[in-house]
Amino acid sequence: MIAEALAGLVFLPLLAACAVAVVPKRAVGVFVWSGLLPLPALLLPLTEAVWREGLVRLAVAGFASPLGIEWRVDALALVVLWLNALIAVFVGLYAARDYPPGSARGGRFWALWLLLTSAMNALLLSADLFNLFVTLELVTLAAIGLLVIDGKPAALRAAMRYLLLALLGSLFYLLGVALIYGQAGTLDLYQAGERLGPGLLPVTALVLMTMGLLVKSAIFPLHGWLPAAHGNAPGPVSAVLSAMVVKVSVYLIWRLWLWLAADWQPAWALPLLGLLGAGAILYGSVLAFLQVRLKMMVAYSTVAQLGYLMLLFPLLGPLGYSAASYHLLSHGLAKAAMFLAVSNILAVMGTDRLDRLAGADRRLPLDTLTLALAGVSILGLPPSGGFVSKWLMLQAAWAIDGWLWLAVILAGGLLAAAYLFRPLAVLCARPATAQAADDGSPPSATGLHWSGVVALLLALGALAAGLAPAPVLALLERGLPPGILP
Amino acid sequence: MSLAIDLLIATGLVVLAWQALVGGSLFRGIVMFIVFGLTMALAWARLGSPDLAMAEAAIGAGVTGALLMIAYWRLRALGANRPAPRSPLRARVALGVGLLSAVLVAMIGLAAVGAIGPGGEAGQALAEALPATGLGNPITGVLVIFRNLDTLLEVAVLLAAYVASRAVMGDDKAALPLPPAQDAPLVGALVAVLAPLAVLVAIYLLKAGSQLPGGAFQAGAVLAAGGVLLMLAGRLHPAPLCGVGLRIALVAGTVVFSGVGLIMLALGQPLLAIPGTWAVYLIETAMMISIGATLVLLFAGSAGLTGTPRR
Amino acid sequence: MSHAEVWVIAAAAVFGIGLYSLLIASHLLRQLIAIKVMGSAIFLVLVVAAGPIDGALDGLPKALVLTGIVIAISAIAFALALLVRLAEVTGSTSLEDEADDDR
Repeated sequence: MIAEALAGLVFLPLLAACAVAVVPKRAVGVFVWSGLLPLPALLLPLTEAVWREGLVRLAVAGFASPLGIEWRVDALALVVLWLNALIAVFVGLYAARDYPPGSARGGRFWALWLLLTSAMNALLLSADLFNLFVTLELVTLAAIGLLVIDGKPAALRAAMRYLLLALLGSLFYLLGVALIYGQAGTLDLYQAGERLGPGLLPVTALVLMTMGLLVKSAIFPLHGWLPAAHGNAPGPVSAVLSAMVVKVSVYLIWRLWLWLAADWQPAWALPLLGLLGAGAILYGSVLAFLQVRLKMMVAYSTVAQLGYLMLLFPLLGPLGYSAASYHLLSHGLAKAAMFLAVSNILAVMGTDRLDRLAGADRRLPLDTLTLALAGVSILGLPPSGGFVSKWLMLQAAWAIDGWLWLAVILAGGLLAAAYLFRPLAVLCARPATAQAADDGSPPSATGLHWSGVVALLLALGALAAGLAPAPVLALLERGLPPGILP
Repeated sequence: MSLAIDLLIATGLVVLAWQALVGGSLFRGIVMFIVFGLTMALAWARLGSPDLAMAEAAIGAGVTGALLMIAYWRLRALGANRPAPRSPLRARVALGVGLLSAVLVAMIGLAAVGAIGPGGEAGQALAEALPATGLGNPITGVLVIFRNLDTLLEVAVLLAAYVASRAVMGDDKAALPLPPAQDAPLVGALVAVLAPLAVLVAIYLLKAGSQLPGGAFQAGAVLAAGGVLLMLAGRLHPAPLCGVGLRIALVAGTVVFSGVGLIMLALGQPLLAIPGTWAVYLIETAMMISIGATLVLLFAGSAGLTGTPRR
Repeated sequence: MSHAEVWVIAAAAVFGIGLYSLLIASHLLRQLIAIKVMGSAIFLVLVVAAGPIDGALDGLPKALVLTGIVIAISAIAFALALLVRLAEVTGSTSLEDEADDDR
C-alpha cells in the first residue's frame, strides 16, 4: 500500500507526461487530470504511516543503500509533498484557463507541468545525494521550459540567466557529492552523515553543495536572477516557481545541514547562513517597496520571504524548526495565490504598472480580495499561517536572546506591511479622472471566473493554516532533525 | 612510462580547454572543444573505463559538437554573432577568480586523493552483487539494475529537454533552418553505407553492453549520429509535425522502463525490480530508441522528421 | 607524483579555465562550452577521488558519470535552443546588453 502510494507520487505524473506527449490533442485533458488529481489521495495513506511510525523507507529496485537508492519520507518531506500536491492541483486548475489541454501550446505546457510535479516529488522522496542531483536537473529543465512557454523576450533573457546560474550551481553541488563519495564510500545521505566527521574535507563538501543550492534557491546575495524570472514568467508558472521550485533547494540545504551534517556541522557557519537570510529579508523588502510593477513587487517579496527560511540556522531548535517549516508551507500557499491574483489583474487591466491600476478593485473584486488575504499571511497578521510561523520564530529568537534576529523579523514584518499596503491602496483608489476605470463597465464582469476562485481558495488555505496549525506542528515535532530535542 | 602518457593527456586537456575557451574565434573554440572531448575520451580509456571513453567520444564530443556547430551556424545566419566589448577590470577579476578556483579545486582534490580509504563501500557492494545478475559489465548493472531510478529519471531529463526546446520555439515556429544539403554523388553513396552501419553498430553496442563496454547510451548516440548524417546529406528533413511513431519513440524509454518497474510492483516485487536479463535488453532497446530519436530532433530543431522534403 | 594526482591537477586547471572563461566570455555559446568543460573536470574528480578497489577504479562513480554525460547534453541542447530563440527575438547573444524589463 505504502510502496504503491510512493510509486504513484513519482510515476503517475511522469507517465501522464509521456501520455500527453503522445496522444491526440482531444485526449490530453484526461491524462493531465488523471496525473494530477489523485496526488492528494496518494498522500493520505502516507500521512497516516508517517504519523504512526515517524519515518517511511523504501529501497528502490529492492537494493538498500549503499548499493541502491532509498526513498525516505519523514514529517518535513511529507509537509512539502503536501504543498507540492496542492500547488500542482490548484495552480494546475488555474492554468487550464490559460493553457487549454487541447491546444498546441497546452500540450507542451502540461507535459512540462507533469514532469516538474513528478521531479519535485522524486526529489522530496530521495535520500541519495546523486539521485538528488538528477532530480534537481529535471526540476530545473522543466521549470525553465515552463518559464519560456509564452516566448516573451524578457522571459527568454531571464530564463537564459537562470539556466546558466542553475547549471553552475549544479556543478558545485556535484563537486561536493564527489568529495562525499570519496570519503564516505556511499551516496546515501544518512549513511554518509554517520561515516563522516568534522574534518576539512566533509566540511568543504558541505560548503560546496550549499553554495550550489544557494544559487538555485536565490538566497541573498545570489538572488539576482530571481526577480526577472519570477516577474516575467506566465502567471501559473510564477506561482509554482515561487511556491515550490526555489523551496526544494532550500529544503535540500536543510537536509544537508541538519541531517547529513547533524553531528559535524561547523557551528561558526550557522549565524553566517542566518545573516544571508537577514540580508534577504531587508534587501528584498526594500526592493519590493521600490518596484513600479505589481508582479515584480511580488517577485521581490519572494526574495525577502526566502530569507526567513535561512533564519532556521541561527534559531536552531524545536521552535525554530517548526517555525521555518511552517513558513515554507504557508508562504507557498500565500505566494501562489498572490501570483495568480496578480496574473488576473495583469490580464484584465492590460498592465501591472502600479500607477495605472487605480480602481481595479471595482473590476476585479475577487482578485483584490485574494491579494489582500494572501497579503495578511505574508505580513504575518493573525489569523494566518504566516502569523503562526513568525510568532514561533519570534519566540525562538526570544528564547536564545537573539536580539539581532528578533529585530530582523520585526523589521521584515513592518517592511512587508509597507510594500503590501501600497498596491492595495492603489487598487482600491478612486481614479482621479472620470474617464478612467469607472467608464460604466459593470463591476466584476470579468472578475468571477473559476480561476479567480482557485486563487482565492489558495489564499484561504494560507489563512486556514493559521486557524488550525496544531496537527501539522505536532507532526513536525515527531520528525525533528537528529540532535534537536523537543 | 605509463605516468608519462597520463601526463601528456592531462596536459593536453588543459591546453585544449584554454584553446576552446579563451581567445580565438568562436568557431575555432567549438572545434577545440570537440578535440577536448576526444581527449577526455582518451583520459577515460587511460582510467580503465572504455564505457566512458565511448560515451564521451560519441555524446560529449560528437553529438554535443554537432549541436554546438548547428547552433553556431544558425546564430551566424541570424547575424547575431558579434562580440560585445569587455571591461579590463572585469577581465582581471575573472583571472583572479579562475586562478583561485583552480588552486582550491587542486587542493581539495589532492587532499581527497590523499585521504582515500580502503575503497568505497558502495563499490564493494557492487562487485559482490554483480555476479547474481548475470551481467558482466558493472556499469550496465548500476544503470539498469542497482541504481536504475537515476537512469529512468535521466531519460526523463532528456524528454524534458526536448519538450522545453519545443516550448521555447513557440507556436509560430515549426523548425529551425538547416544548412543546405551536400548533394554530391559520393555523399549519397557514403550515406547509403554509413546509415545502415550506424544501426548495426548501435545494435552491437546494445548487445555487448551486458558483458562488455557499451550500452544503451552509446548505442543511442551512434543512432543519433546516423540520423544527423542523413539530415546533413539531405535524406532526412525537419517536419512541422511529430508523427505518432516518432512521438512513441520519444517516450519509449521512460514508458517501458516505468512499465516494467510498476508491473513488478504489482506482482509483489520491489518497485523497479528487474526480472531478468531479457528485461535489461528490453529496457535498453527502448532507451536507445528514445535517446537516438530525441538527440536527432534536438539537432533538427523541429517538431518532427520526414523522408521527403516539404515544398 | 601519482597517476591520481596528475588527473586531479589537470581537472583543477580545467575547472579554473572554465570559470575564468564563464566570467569573461560575452558570447553565451562560449559560456555554455565553459560550463560543459567544467562539468568534465568534475566528472574526472568524481572518478579519481573515489579511489581504487582491488587495483581497478571503483565502478560505481563511472556509472554516475555516464548518467552525468547524458544530463549534460540534455541541458546543453535546451540551452542552445533557448539561445537561438533569444538571438532571434532580441538580436543578442549575450546577457550583457540587458534591456529594461519593464513592460
